[in-house]
Amino acid sequence: MVEEIFQKFRDWIDNRHEYAKEWKEKTNRKIIGYFCTYVPEEILYAADILPVRILGSHEPPTVTEPYIFAMFCHLCRDSLAQGLKGKFDYLDGIVEGQSCLHLRQTFNAWRLHIPVDYAYYIYVPHSVQTPHATPYLTQELAKFKHSLEEWIGRKVTDSDLDRGIRTMNRNRELMRKIYEYRKLDNPKITGLEAMEMVLSSQMVDKEEHSKLVEQLLRELPNRKLNRNPGTRLMIIGSEDDDRIFMQNVENLGATFVIDEHCTGSRYLWNNVSPSEDRLGAIAERYVDRVPCPSKDWPEFTRVKHAVNLAQEFKAQGALVIQNKFCDPHGIEIPPLKEALKSIGVPIYPLEFDVTVPWGQFRTRVEAFLETLTGLEDLF
Amino acid sequence: MSEKSREFWRWREYRYTMPDMDWHDTKVVTAGVDIGSVGSKAVVMLDGELYSFAAMRTGGESEETAIKVMNWALEETELKTENVPYVVGTGYGRVNVPFAKRTITEIACHARGAHYIYGPTVRTVLDIGGQDCKAIRCDEKGKVMSFLMNDKCAAGTGRGLEVFADLIRVPIEELGKTSLDVEDEPPPVSNTCVIFAKAESLALLRQGLSREKVAAAYHLAMVNRIIDLLTRVGIEKDFVVTGGVAKNTGIVSRLERNLGIKPLEPKLDPILAGAMGAALFAKALYEKEIGLR
Repeated sequence: MVEEIFQKFRDWIDNRHEYAKEWKEKTNRKIIGYFCTYVPEEILYAADILPVRILGSHEPPTVTEPYIFAMFCHLCRDSLAQGLKGKFDYLDGIVEGQSCLHLRQTFNAWRLHIPVDYAYYIYVPHSVQTPHATPYLTQELAKFKHSLEEWIGRKVTDSDLDRGIRTMNRNRELMRKIYEYRKLDNPKITGLEAMEMVLSSQMVDKEEHSKLVEQLLRELPNRKLNRNPGTRLMIIGSEDDDRIFMQNVENLGATFVIDEHCTGSRYLWNNVSPSEDRLGAIAERYVDRVPCPSKDWPEFTRVKHAVNLAQEFKAQGALVIQNKFCDPHGIEIPPLKEALKSIGVPIYPLEFDVTVPWGQFRTRVEAFLETLTGLEDLF
Repeated sequence: MSEKSREFWRWREYRYTMPDMDWHDTKVVTAGVDIGSVGSKAVVMLDGELYSFAAMRTGGESEETAIKVMNWALEETELKTENVPYVVGTGYGRVNVPFAKRTITEIACHARGAHYIYGPTVRTVLDIGGQDCKAIRCDEKGKVMSFLMNDKCAAGTGRGLEVFADLIRVPIEELGKTSLDVEDEPPPVSNTCVIFAKAESLALLRQGLSREKVAAAYHLAMVNRIIDLLTRVGIEKDFVVTGGVAKNTGIVSRLERNLGIKPLEPKLDPILAGAMGAALFAKALYEKEIGLR
């Protein structure tokens, strides 16, 4: 049964567009595509809209050159390519929560060149380490809510917001409980499976997803994974949905026991603490969440968080994935390396693009694993 | 072969067996087979000492090449592949060595091999192969502490030099020496792609630069890129160079000049470092298998 649940997550990812189209037909409700996890899905759920994350396909892009610079990261180019190819033609609108300039360009290129009924850019503050950030974002969210209300033709009430908050909190909480099983000496779930669980949650109705995660939570304790976990690895980086890479690495005698990706733990680590001021509570969650490095200054708080995760999940080494041309994540590598080294967790950096040169990466990853544990007794 | 159709890139393939060694009175015979992207090497060791080896070009079929290079290394020894109880495969084609019991990366093997060739004082190994370039930091046992590899580009590697040798019509073995035959070092070529670097070099030739100068420009560009990699991994003495390009004096002497560190002189053929490391790991693995360790 557990295997069927994981298969369902995979099916949702592989058939995400079919799922969305069927959902729309079944519910007669709107779907909004979002680019970055700084978009507060709570408000979209409150408005009875299905938020789905726009991601790439990892096929070499051929259509984006006239619309976006080639030196923008592959997530931006590949996501836009999907829109230009009509893969997301069921979207009623797009929303972006400000994070980096590259994604902003993707949003703008999409708005200009791919017809959608609704497009909204939320000015999530860049400087989140200031007391002004939460009141500022609360105001921005009020503007966003108002704009949505005009578009859908009805008010989004406090009770709607409560429902939106509950939906999101429940899903994050359930997935975080699943993450606990990654701490075991023999984790009950592989890194690939964890990635597929979180990725699929960004593509389907959270209520439906949560039901399945709840079921997984009941059945996971009895699962016997017939594999040697090997070296315990952490994977750190920005957006990462490269499932083939995860699988290939885990086939080399390793298990990803924890990740620090916005398609993983960073997406689900923090919840909204309900309060009377609903928008204020949501704003607080997005200001206080584990930050994207584009907002993580002047303090590198994410580095401390990564160190805690490495310790909690007993990682022996970490692969740091940098999406080519992603400067915010690149800047973070030196302090990350130093901090993790100080707790005895070596890192190895790899640069990701639309596709990954597995032949070369295999040598690097294998050699990194050899330095961690593999060849201890042969000298 | 006429001068026109001469293949300047083609390096000599070779084999050798140590004349004063006999496998009959050894405890452990092991081998390492290093299938690189350009060259394939096989090393046979007797009790962890170099006995016989061969180096040849990697053909289209890695498996076939693995069998060929191993057979060639064993020629004149009366040994057959099946008489070698433990073989470790390494290199880009390490998974395609059909008779290998285990694979180990060329990074670990080059560090181990460099330890064998140059001794326990080695701390930084630079392996420049056909397709990639690796800067490796290791400890006194030859164990890898950290490493970095060049990215997807081949301009800083052996294959790039082969393409360049053909362009300026100088045999690959003499290319390094030719590049040193200049009074002043010209600016380096700027392109990092092997195809564009070749085109840029061609343009320099057409501008009337001597082939020695163009060779110097190409070598200098390679050395600059290698130094970037070494600086990122951190360079510590003793420093050594392995892989096929270790034989190119134009690269090695520029490394020495621009880094201010003299690489140790190899006592054995540095192209064999990876295969030697693999054979030494094979020895340790075999001894474990039969309960000797």
